[in-house]
Amino acid sequence: MVLHDRSSTAGALLGVVAIVFLVGQQLSVLFGLLNFMSVLVDHSGADAWILSGNVRNVDAGNLISGRYLDRVIGLAEVAWAEPVLIGNGLFRTPDGSFESVRVVGVRRPRLTGGPWAFAQADERALLDLESVTVDRLDLKKLGQPWPGTVTEIGERRVRVGAVTEGARGFQGTLVFASLDKVKDIAKTPPGRYSAILVRFQPGTDAAVALARMRRILPECSVYSTAELSALTRRYYFTQTGIGGSFGFSTLIGVLIGVVIISLTLYASVLGRARDFAVMRAIGGRRWDVAVVVISQTLIITVTGLFVGFLLLATLLNATGRSAIPCYFPSYVPPILAAVTAGVSLLGSMIALRQALRAEPAAVFH
Amino acid sequence: MATLRLERIARDFSDGRQVRRVLFPTTLELMPGQLTVMAGPSGSGKTTLLSIIGLVLRPSEGKMFLDAREVSALSDDQAAALRLQQYGFVFQQPMLIEGLTVRENVLLALGVQGRRPPKAVVRKADELLAALGLAETGHLQPRVLSGGMKQRVSIARALIKDPAILLCDEPTSALDAESGQVVMKILKRIATEQNRVVIVVSHDARVFPYADRLIKLENGKVVSDTTEHYTSSNATEP
Repeated sequence: MVLHDRSSTAGALLGVVAIVFLVGQQLSVLFGLLNFMSVLVDHSGADAWILSGNVRNVDAGNLISGRYLDRVIGLAEVAWAEPVLIGNGLFRTPDGSFESVRVVGVRRPRLTGGPWAFAQADERALLDLESVTVDRLDLKKLGQPWPGTVTEIGERRVRVGAVTEGARGFQGTLVFASLDKVKDIAKTPPGRYSAILVRFQPGTDAAVALARMRRILPECSVYSTAELSALTRRYYFTQTGIGGSFGFSTLIGVLIGVVIISLTLYASVLGRARDFAVMRAIGGRRWDVAVVVISQTLIITVTGLFVGFLLLATLLNATGRSAIPCYFPSYVPPILAAVTAGVSLLGSMIALRQALRAEPAAVFH
Repeated sequence: MATLRLERIARDFSDGRQVRRVLFPTTLELMPGQLTVMAGPSGSGKTTLLSIIGLVLRPSEGKMFLDAREVSALSDDQAAALRLQQYGFVFQQPMLIEGLTVRENVLLALGVQGRRPPKAVVRKADELLAALGLAETGHLQPRVLSGGMKQRVSIARALIKDPAILLCDEPTSALDAESGQVVMKILKRIATEQNRVVIVVSHDARVFPYADRLIKLENGKVVSDTTEHYTSSNATEP
């Protein structure tokens, strides 16, 4: 039936592919954006972050005193602590225009909180006081500032020393520099930082260490890296409309798929009402009719999942290194496949209901 | 072989406002080895009677027995199981399932409840098709066959499970005279040589000469039931 009734099969297949592709694409953009939101936290290499009190996300903290560094370094559980300073500046491009950038200052020589992947040169470039990094995806926007290019950020002279890979923040272009250079660019008061990053000694109970840090720094927010990442993502997801927007578009994708699947399978069953009546007359039970309809749906679903994921993989591969945010965690495809299968079966329910109405007596006319 | 016994079987239909009796109490005994033709004009109740005999319609009154077992009040699934085991159907239109090959259509009669037919049965399907003059058609799609060939496939589908009872609803009405005669000869042979209950519903006088028993219905009532040899002026002897 699946092969014979090609138009219905193609229609239902389109519905399944639409769900997988549209929803998958939406989810990949959402997860890509979620990655952007917490990119600094996720790649910091720290176990804990200390920020100003009552922060709602990593980007919205006040400056904190550098004296807190001395307090946490004194703890037995702490292997090291490093300050990070985040500010904003205007990057001068070769044509004289400006681009707003977010400058992240990291302390030499450890460079904790700094860039983690490079397209050109490496982190040693930041050992130079004037050096900054730009991201590969921002090169065009910034006027192709390849390593060696001298320009200004916040009216301060900088030299591009390296090109990073995948260092993009939710709030814009990320430029890494030394702590002193960012102080100069952002004109922050001396001895104050955006955050302090902490690494625990090996074998330390993180919960115990975090509790101790919270006790000695009651005026600060102390989070594990995972907690801060989740907090930041949750904040942007719920407070910026991204969650609602993606939820709605995902729902639309699912609805479009369900409607296509329902209508095509229903039309297919209507066209085959006589066949189902014959099945019943020659000894088929309602259950056997249901098995035919559900099997047909499952065959179409499995084929649609294969085609849909193939198209999605092609899209993700094509956009993976582009400026379009896209990321697909490995746990998502099985969930998406299961949801699509469920939705397809749901879409086949109207068709199934119609098929089960086939009366064996209808064959005698 | 099975014997069918109907005791005061009647059937009413309701259109929601009024109840209409389409089959009045009818008592019959249908024996194996006979080709029984039920004849009558449209609305005479012959198709209703065939549907009740075929367990696809429940009677409003009366009882039906297959051998000693009452079968007029079976559940849907019980009736389906009995149809699968004991009944073969040949419909007015061949009603073959497009998308399945001729062989698959024949085997569907056995596999309709999901069981995969054994290889011996597949061989039997091919032998049956050959016996009905359809050798080498097993792999074809039904759409490439003529009307007569399709009807013979539907006979093969009915016979593949060796049914005790073969019910045929106007099996020749969609066929030309020559194909119709071929089909009727096959049905006659099945009744007499294989000792089955074969019931043919028809208002086509050309099938009457093949009847061992001719039951005529009018307005929901049996008006004649004869086992005399019947001939019509325009029919040839079987």
